[in-house]
Amino acid sequence: MNEKIEMKDKKMGMGQGHVLDLKLPIGWLLSAYGVLLTVYGLVTKKEMYAISLGLNLNLVWGILMLAIGGGFLLAAFLKKDRAGR
Amino acid sequence: MDPVITLNAVDYAIIGGYILVMIFVGYSLKKYMKTGEDFFLSGRSLPGWITGLAFLSANLGALEVIGMVANSAKYGIATIHFYWVGAIPAMVFLGIFMMPFYYGSRVRTVPEYLKLRYNEATRGLNAISFAIMTVLMSGISLYAMALLFKIMLGWSLTGSILFGAVVVLLYVFWGGLSSSIYNEVIQFFLIWLGLLPIVFLGLKEVGGFAGFVAKLKEPLLHSVKYLGTSNNPLGVDWFGVVMGLGFVLSFGYWTTDFLVVQRALASKNINSARMTPIIAAFPKMLVPIIVVIPGLVALLVLPEFSQSALPSTEYNSALILLMKHYLPNGLLGLAITALLASFMSGMAGNVTAFNTIWTYDIYGSYIKKGKSDSHYLRMGKYATIFGVAISVGTAYIVQSFPNIMDYMQLVFSFFNAPLFATFLLGMFWAGATGWGGFFGLLVGILTAAGHYILYKLGIVHYASDMAANFYQAWWAWLADFVVTIGVSLFTAKRKPQELVGLVFGLTPKTKAAARWLARPAVWGILAIVIAIVLNIIFW
Repeated sequence: MNEKIEMKDKKMGMGQGHVLDLKLPIGWLLSAYGVLLTVYGLVTKKEMYAISLGLNLNLVWGILMLAIGGGFLLAAFLKKDRAGR
Repeated sequence: MDPVITLNAVDYAIIGGYILVMIFVGYSLKKYMKTGEDFFLSGRSLPGWITGLAFLSANLGALEVIGMVANSAKYGIATIHFYWVGAIPAMVFLGIFMMPFYYGSRVRTVPEYLKLRYNEATRGLNAISFAIMTVLMSGISLYAMALLFKIMLGWSLTGSILFGAVVVLLYVFWGGLSSSIYNEVIQFFLIWLGLLPIVFLGLKEVGGFAGFVAKLKEPLLHSVKYLGTSNNPLGVDWFGVVMGLGFVLSFGYWTTDFLVVQRALASKNINSARMTPIIAAFPKMLVPIIVVIPGLVALLVLPEFSQSALPSTEYNSALILLMKHYLPNGLLGLAITALLASFMSGMAGNVTAFNTIWTYDIYGSYIKKGKSDSHYLRMGKYATIFGVAISVGTAYIVQSFPNIMDYMQLVFSFFNAPLFATFLLGMFWAGATGWGGFFGLLVGILTAAGHYILYKLGIVHYASDMAANFYQAWWAWLADFVVTIGVSLFTAKRKPQELVGLVFGLTPKTKAAARWLARPAVWGILAIVIAIVLNIIFW
């Protein structure tokens, strides 16, 4: 039973004492937002962006957020990889 | 009244995603909450970057976002004083000079330090006034959030207040301070990503800073130039800004308010604890980008805020109207999530500070002493519940004040301003006695209250409410300072060996980190230098 909990902890990036690796939830949240906004930006019409001065900001910001979120996830996985060895 | 903004499914998905992640983080932390120290101080285990960002975000609640955009629309560039004069020096001072006593003495709360340094009465006075203040602040967060939802989405005030309260209650109840801190860090990223599009679009539309210079009245564009007299948008002269805001209010808040100090106490070691406020100082310097620029843009692009607007203009709606003006659905949801996050974490921060002070300094000291750790842990969880309940009540009191920010400053100056004198003397003068500390603090609070009554009765006059608050803070501080010294000269002093670890000069210096890049002093000085340069640029 204990072992099972520990496995789950590792998967979630936790289990190092008290510290939950916060890079994971931040990374996942921002990446999910990035995907959602990018897709939404791709499927929406130009008229919607009249208020944002003609810029399709959903697309631009979506890609940006995907990059930032991806960066957090990468950092978290690299750290775990190092810790694993 | 019709809602200002119409959200669609994508916006709601973004808001919902955030709430789910928050609750998930709170729930994941549940199993670590085994001792009081886990629940109240995150087991003193967090790295500096997390506590640093949380330190900043705990203060980036309703106050920063809506209040500061409102202030910027009302007072112009002078709002930066709340950052570069009113925060950075105090944060650096806390990290370099005061944190060794806080963290080094292993106290769990700010009032506990007062007990060790002064006496039980001083602690009681501070603990009780602080507990009252935090629930007031928590109510402010809730109210601001409910007001936002009402204007924006047409929700009922009561519905939003209850919704916000339940979400915060859930995650603080499960994860304690860790929940609060982790959500603050997530909020830090959301607030930047959510509000920067408004900054970019606003600057694009008005033509950058050149557009501000061409179209805004001159006094709105300078932070210092017009401070020679009180004839500037703030209605405060330089003495009020430097001594009232920059010295007393700012140091009082950043160095003695347990809400922010608690984040540093959650650090894993003394170097991280000292770095916490200094790490926070750097992003703090940049916050004006997302509050001052939108405030100025609002004056130029929103008809409601034209420069001939009536004095009764509802400045607090500036940010919301800008979001409607610029953001398409999608990004709109993101910006609203950012605001939601800042309200929730503002409230959660207050609730976690309240439950800790209540449990350790009031319940554990006066009501039931010497119980087991698990008893206090359980009490902390109950305190979370009734703290949230009192906040809900407070949310209704706040409604009668027109500008949230002015109200916050008012409350700070009652409790925090005199407290800074008590800490300054306590940490740096071994001669301050227990009763000196107590009477100084008491007279300081009474001075603030007395000044407020005189001002409200019209016996003393200032050019603006803001000026009255700044000066009130200054007089309260001075009264505390003078009375503490005066009483200390006539009361019994403590033996020097009892004060080791609590007072500068009687405490061995903290060993600096070996690598100079890890040293708090290096980064602290850098922060001060940048703040000075920024002040000169926007003179």
